Amino acid sequence: MMIWNRLRYLWPAWRRHEEREMREELESLTAIAGAKELGNLTLAVEDARATWGWTWLGSIFADIRYSLRALRTQPGFSAVAVLSLALAIGANSAIFSFADALLLRPLAVKNPAAMFDVSSTTPDNSLEGMSFPDYRDLRDKSRSFSGLIAYRLTTLAVAANPTAPARMCFSSLVSDNFFSVAGVTPAAGRAFLPGEATASAQPVGVVSYDFWQQNYAGKQSVIGSILRLNGIVFTIIGVAPASFTGLDRFALPSIFVPLGMAQRLDGEATDALEDRGRHDLIVKGRLSAGASRESAQAEVAVIGAALEREYAKTNHNRHMAVRTELQRRIQQTPQLLALVKMLMGLVALILIIACSNVANLLLARGRARSREIAIRLSIGAGRSRVVRQLMTESLIVAMAGGVAGLFVAYGGIRVLETLSVPSDPPFVLGVQLDWRVVEFSLLVALASCLVFGLAPAWQTARTDFVNALKAGGDGASGKGRMLGRDVLVAGQVALAMIVLIAAGMFLAGFRNMLVMPPEFRTDHLISLDTAPAVLHYSPEQTKAFYRRLVDRVRMIPGVAGVAMTEALPLSPSQTAVNVVPEGYQFPKGREKELEFGAAVDAAYFSTLNVEIKRGRAFTDDDRAGTRRVAIVNQQFVKTYWPGQDPIGKRIRFDSTAGPAFEIVGVAKTGHYLAVNEAPAPYVYVSYEQNPRSRMTLVVQSTGDPGALAQPLRDAVRSIDGNVPVFNLRPVATLYKSRVTDTWLQFFQMVGTMGFIGLALATTGLYGLVGYTVSRRVKEFGIRVAVGASHRDVVWLVERRGLILAGVGVVIGGVLTAAAAPLLAAGFPGLGVSSPAVYALVPLALLMVSAIASYLPARRAAGLDPLRALRNE
Amino acid sequence: MDLLQGTLDMLVLRTLRTGSLHGYGIAKSIRSTSNEALGIEFGSLYPALKRLEAKGWIASAWDTSEHNRRAKFYKLTATGRKHLVREHSKWADFVSVVGRIMGTLPEVKG
Repeated sequence: MMIWNRLRYLWPAWRRHEEREMREELESLTAIAGAKELGNLTLAVEDARATWGWTWLGSIFADIRYSLRALRTQPGFSAVAVLSLALAIGANSAIFSFADALLLRPLAVKNPAAMFDVSSTTPDNSLEGMSFPDYRDLRDKSRSFSGLIAYRLTTLAVAANPTAPARMCFSSLVSDNFFSVAGVTPAAGRAFLPGEATASAQPVGVVSYDFWQQNYAGKQSVIGSILRLNGIVFTIIGVAPASFTGLDRFALPSIFVPLGMAQRLDGEATDALEDRGRHDLIVKGRLSAGASRESAQAEVAVIGAALEREYAKTNHNRHMAVRTELQRRIQQTPQLLALVKMLMGLVALILIIACSNVANLLLARGRARSREIAIRLSIGAGRSRVVRQLMTESLIVAMAGGVAGLFVAYGGIRVLETLSVPSDPPFVLGVQLDWRVVEFSLLVALASCLVFGLAPAWQTARTDFVNALKAGGDGASGKGRMLGRDVLVAGQVALAMIVLIAAGMFLAGFRNMLVMPPEFRTDHLISLDTAPAVLHYSPEQTKAFYRRLVDRVRMIPGVAGVAMTEALPLSPSQTAVNVVPEGYQFPKGREKELEFGAAVDAAYFSTLNVEIKRGRAFTDDDRAGTRRVAIVNQQFVKTYWPGQDPIGKRIRFDSTAGPAFEIVGVAKTGHYLAVNEAPAPYVYVSYEQNPRSRMTLVVQSTGDPGALAQPLRDAVRSIDGNVPVFNLRPVATLYKSRVTDTWLQFFQMVGTMGFIGLALATTGLYGLVGYTVSRRVKEFGIRVAVGASHRDVVWLVERRGLILAGVGVVIGGVLTAAAAPLLAAGFPGLGVSSPAVYALVPLALLMVSAIASYLPARRAAGLDPLRALRNE
Repeated sequence: MDLLQGTLDMLVLRTLRTGSLHGYGIAKSIRSTSNEALGIEFGSLYPALKRLEAKGWIASAWDTSEHNRRAKFYKLTATGRKHLVREHSKWADFVSVVGRIMGTLPEVKG
């Protein structure tokens, strides 16, 4: 009843009715008592209306109406302000969505804040996977978690029937409670049952929503249908919802299968799930009510210590760590954090430039409007009400900027979406315009409104209205205000300089990268991956398969050479080994180091043209049964045996107890994961001595390597039609996408930021100088009248613009000098400080400033003195 | 004499207990009952009436006055009556408590 009583006053017809009632009532009372007896009836009605309880809403509407009218009367101001904000907020939102995809986006599970990552740690590696037995013990003993899941990401060869060629797809091998603990309800069918995790159970799988749409057209008949994974027949029992794309960034699994199937899928002789020494599972747990990360950490530490005592052999020095998802991601990819920090920092600077631009516009406008505000104040508007009105205007501008910024962000996101790594199955960056980005944009808009709106509003409301009305100009004591605006513009120039120098450094680094030799041949090469192991080849069969494949490929016309490697340089999947170099003293508590490394065949160094600096390459005599040999790169020597002769030294793999390999050669240091990486140690072992189940074939062509694609496919098929072929592409294509395309896009991104920053700062400078000219029309008129030349006046105006820009450049130089080391540290090879950049950016800024001030200067000089004087 | 915060509402309800009155009538009644000690301005009474009406304690209807003039008459509703009883006892408690503390007027020395 009460609510209804109040709500009906929101209805305009009811309000009008009430107004009429009151008027009639008071008229009748005036007739009875006389006007004098009743006193100020206008005020009484006003107060009565206030009891309706919606005056605040009414006044907000009035503010909004008034603001829109004010903004409409100055379309130029509104457009520039909204555009400035749109560019800055758009850049911020685009980068936020990028950061979201790289690091920030929470897991797509129910209440992601309660999900924590539990990983195994050793002094050598603070983020290691967990073994299944450790996970099982943790799950059984822990009270801090209401549920703990384990999974690992793998690639499986997927085929609908035995005759179809298999496709490689990302898959998750998951514990049976995976979906229930994640709180993910299948879109169709059901999730796993507890019994289905065991190895003996019927093979069942849950497919991803995309996989369902692409291969089954979203039909319900998918449930119960058959899929061959690594040659084993699986029954599909469910479909994951569209919102759930697994728990990993970048790799989206198409199929979820129980961990119990791991042994059969991998075709291994022993059950890896019973191997406490195999640390390949990712474990995540949902905290139970009342538990915190700290209490969970304390508990898993106790459990970990108990396991260490009980299983000294496998768990020596092994502990457990509970991390948030974000902490895990940062730990996993610290370089992405550096990238995100830098990009977010740059767009934040742009936002500050845009805000000071708008603040400047508002200040200029506030002076022009001081007469209007003086009138409002003098007829009794409270100052707080005037400030509120001005803030409403700022808020409308900010929100318009935020919404327009979303369109800008969408453009940026479309560009970022194309960032990818060519591989089978594809890695996905996952940049998208979602609600998080929308919320972020509006939040940034709101925050920027506070930054740019508050000061001008306060300053305007402080107007001395007597002066303002009397002088017919503005009521401000000019000096202080002008100084504030000067500071804003100089600051803009300084910040623009930082952004431009960052862009310039990226450009210089990018150019360096383009001219940087890859240190291996990229032309006339085509590579392909095969995985006979997915068809349960025995190690002997796999070896025979590769031997036959190499022989067959060599016979193809147009093939100049064939080599094999476990990992092609610069391909996204690099292999690494734990190394124990002889005679190297590790820091206390550590006994090995993880370094890049791969098994390669004898033809590798000559086919890829990797230079051997000392010693020899592998030969056909390095076979199983002969002395174990290894080749390291120059950086490896520099790191582990500085100043010593590495030939003849020995190295062990995996642990101090591993077999010893003798170094027979030193290869030139190349680039392995990225061209801009810091020189990294690398170790090669002989494929014949260390056969692997999955190898990359590198084929050198006499002509166009692309022409070999089909013959290579046929060669594999002629040996076994079911062996999947993937990542078949010319090496030059891979190189281009890894080196040129990705960084080109980063450069474009930073370059665009630089451009936006420059444009905004220039607009600010132009606006201020132009405004100064318009304020000094009278003065210029007098100067011209008493004989100042055209050039004198132009110089007078120019000088002001240049002084502002000059101060900005000096401040910017100091700030950049302080910020540059941070930039360089995050991006080895890319954040190069190039003297040319430091010289060119200030020059460019000063030049643009000169042009921006020349336009108003010419206007000032072209003034007709008589008219200028008459105007005042 | 100035009114204590919130007492105007109570006075209006009390005045309307005996029968319905129009706005100016209420002001006059309070003034005369208090022997002109409370000079209630119509300007402050009127919003109070609207407030009480919005709360549902009083209701209004058009009627003709003693001089055959049309006017809006206010009367106490059932909820208003209940509220008045509640307020009245609260007021009585308040007066007795404050009276106990203040006691008789102390002599001023010096």
